[in-house]
Amino acid sequence: MKLFQIFFGAIILSILNPFVARAQSFTADDGYVEFISRAPLLEFKGTSNHLAGLIDLDQNLVDFFVDLNTLDTGIQRRNRDMRNTYLKTDRFPFAEFTGKLITPFDPNVNDKQDVRVSGLFSIHGVEREIEVEGTLEPGNGTLRLEAGFSVLLEDYNIDRPRVLFYELADEQIINLTILLRLSEPS
Amino acid sequence: MRLFILCIVFLLLSAQECLSQLERQRVADNEPVELTFMAPRNINLFTVEPLSRGELHYSIMHTFGEVDSGVRNLWGIDQGANVRFSFEYGFTEGLSLGFGRSSMDKIYDIHARWSVIRQKDSSIPVSITFAPSVGLTTGSFGFLEEDYTFSDRMSYSAALPVARKFSSDLSMQIVPMLTYFSRTGPELNISDPEVNTYFSVGLSGRYKFSPRSAFTFQFIPPITNAENLGWNIGTGIDIETGGHVFQMFFTTSRALNEAYLVSAENGSFFDGEFRFGFNVNRLFRVR
Repeated sequence: MKLFQIFFGAIILSILNPFVARAQSFTADDGYVEFISRAPLLEFKGTSNHLAGLIDLDQNLVDFFVDLNTLDTGIQRRNRDMRNTYLKTDRFPFAEFTGKLITPFDPNVNDKQDVRVSGLFSIHGVEREIEVEGTLEPGNGTLRLEAGFSVLLEDYNIDRPRVLFYELADEQIINLTILLRLSEPS
Repeated sequence: MRLFILCIVFLLLSAQECLSQLERQRVADNEPVELTFMAPRNINLFTVEPLSRGELHYSIMHTFGEVDSGVRNLWGIDQGANVRFSFEYGFTEGLSLGFGRSSMDKIYDIHARWSVIRQKDSSIPVSITFAPSVGLTTGSFGFLEEDYTFSDRMSYSAALPVARKFSSDLSMQIVPMLTYFSRTGPELNISDPEVNTYFSVGLSGRYKFSPRSAFTFQFIPPITNAENLGWNIGTGIDIETGGHVFQMFFTTSRALNEAYLVSAENGSFFDGEFRFGFNVNRLFRVR
């Protein structure tokens, strides 16, 4: 009977736990992310409004991903090439970042604050440790994140045309904006 | 002790919840398979590769003389080029209309490609495209006793590519093809001047040996009971360069459009009666 009481108590606590553990957890799945390619003869960008993100201040967890199939460069054929030839989205559908804040951030100060995160960025099946600078701005139950960084396609084994044309730059500039909302307990 | 056990069990039950990342979910699953082929044609045959709405595809295609004509003719480059240019515009995601002109028999043609079915990974195994075309020869036949009337100059073709992308590298398609010439004769570059209707089932495919290069092939067997028809055999390489697709190949036929692919005379590939050809494909976004 005592054992039953212990387990019963634990289950009750576990059910109540998300209300506590997620008190500082912010999520969204409609963030904006863009990549900009600046090659000698051509500059273009691809965008998506399907950036999903989580910032859990209690756990110091920063987690983002985007379905690469949602990236749109404005030209369908280029989208198809990007998905099939370069990013191979059938095998590697997501670009992901998981890390943590490595600079102080005060959620009680309603100002834009410079932050730095460190973690693993993964795309095309290659994972690398990166640091990203950005700003976090607390609002009424929200956090607005703006950040930017660059990746070298070569670092992630992403091939690009070299034979005759150089229409895709090796360095891709990534910018993202997302309004994270205090997550509802599930 | 009881409190300790309670805490342990609580932590075990809640640990996964606390540390879990976002679940990786795709925005849309089971989208149509893309880039079954690099271009709307694989060597000479229509493919199932559709244009998107607002895309304009331009291609220029060539075949030259037979390579066994020797170095003096630069292995056929100096001889008998057949040149075709064409434009094709995507009106919707599945329907495009095109216009082209081939120098052999001075044929102007219009064609359509309609994606009837698109392959999807988990539910539809193949893509099927219906591609009818109508041709008009503008050759000068005044030397004949009875000149060609306008309707005599017409030819009608239909192709039905059925393709499957087996992997990111390997794609194959079979292409039933039917062509009808309103009038035939030795003045046309077809294999048998007595036969008006030609039918075949072509086979073509590609195997990517690098991210932007592929081996390609086509076979169009001589199913029609016609003289001198022979096998249309082609093999080549596609190179995608980021904006253009170059297709270089050797083929047994001068033909570049549907009507003549099933009806024109073919050399014997294994006797060296084949010729060099190449296509340049470029895609523009119009709107």
